[in-house]
Amino acid sequence: MSQNAYTLEFSPTTAATETRRNPATTLICAVSYALAVSVSDSWPALLLASILPAVILAKRFPLHALAKLNLLNAVMILTLALTWPEFSGGLVMGTVIALRVNMICVVFMSMVYPLGTGGIYEALCVLGMPEKMRVLIILTLRGIFTMHERFETALISVRLRAPNLKGMMKLRVFASVTASVLVQSALRSENVMRAVKCRGGFGGFSQYRHEGFNSRDVLFMAGFMVYASCVALLNYA
Amino acid sequence: MHISEGILSGGTLIAGWAGSVAGISYGLKHTDPEKIVRTAFTSSVFFLASLVNVRIGPSSTHLTLLAPMGIILGDAVFPAVFVALLLQAVLFHFGGLVVLGANTFAMAFPALMTHVIFGRAICESSGKFRTMTLSFMAGTFTVMAGACIAGTFLGMTDKNFLGAVKLLLIAHVPLAVIEGVVTAFLVIWLKRVMPESLQ
Repeated sequence: MSQNAYTLEFSPTTAATETRRNPATTLICAVSYALAVSVSDSWPALLLASILPAVILAKRFPLHALAKLNLLNAVMILTLALTWPEFSGGLVMGTVIALRVNMICVVFMSMVYPLGTGGIYEALCVLGMPEKMRVLIILTLRGIFTMHERFETALISVRLRAPNLKGMMKLRVFASVTASVLVQSALRSENVMRAVKCRGGFGGFSQYRHEGFNSRDVLFMAGFMVYASCVALLNYA
Repeated sequence: MHISEGILSGGTLIAGWAGSVAGISYGLKHTDPEKIVRTAFTSSVFFLASLVNVRIGPSSTHLTLLAPMGIILGDAVFPAVFVALLLQAVLFHFGGLVVLGANTFAMAFPALMTHVIFGRAICESSGKFRTMTLSFMAGTFTVMAGACIAGTFLGMTDKNFLGAVKLLLIAHVPLAVIEGVVTAFLVIWLKRVMPESLQ
């Protein structure tokens, strides 16, 4: 492959990377919005805060994702109404909380969760997460996928041998399955540690240099901060 | 035991994050690199075990297994719980990111307390009955202490939440008993097969 072909092949990706928004920017914006909404309990502030979720909802947001959440919210509103000193006070508080939960969830589900574990990990790295924590997140995620298969196999085996387990025996079997997978994980972690040592230890385990903020990121963040500040200020005004 | 987004006030969220950051820093400082792989894999097993639906009568529940996590991981329990809750929030949308600090503190602090109060006694106990009793107490204590901390966060947000907090505590009693039983069986199994994991 010639140098030109190589350059041509990879140029679209390079261009996409240059225009991509830094995941840390998205995380900071969403968290600052959620914080502003969390401290707001006045109706004008909540009305201003609802503009962003309303725009997101208008753009093909999967509404069924909020159905289960609002079922739980209905239970929460009823609980608060019944346990609050005054029924109407509990009803208002429950409604305000349900509104906040919906707004925060819509923003997180459309901005932060699509980044995936990798994107959020990258954002936390840009924000200065300690090296040990980075290693812990990477290895826990890896451990989940590695141990999932063993856990599933053990549970299937239990279901085949004793399909009608009940009561105390069921809890005992569940504890035994968890403990046996724990022992397997301990053995597996020893092998992983040996492999890490063979490669020269944790030095360079997560040395990938993450992108910094570009001018677009700064502008986006500034706009979001102004919006979040307006929501918070309107609440205290 | 997860507190949802949008419930806690700004001050309570900050208090939760302050407690969690202190616990995570302490945990990371006292966890040597050799132990990190073990911590990660143990944390991932507890993460998977907490996803299993345990049917109790007409309803079902998810166990937290915080007591065995505290006994096995010790000081490293704060970072382990933080990572587990972060992954739960990102992968399954349980809890949330803003409230992650409060949730981490409500779950990891009782687990750390369990390690301090029951850890040594469980490791040194010889009889099966004594070990099971201590483990059962550890399991119930962790769940009830977690519910109490979550209730405190709600009370800090608004005094009028106290009625709901009472309901929260009552609802956690059966879960605490089940956690206690599972912890007792799990610790007995580990003590017989791999006693070094508890030290």
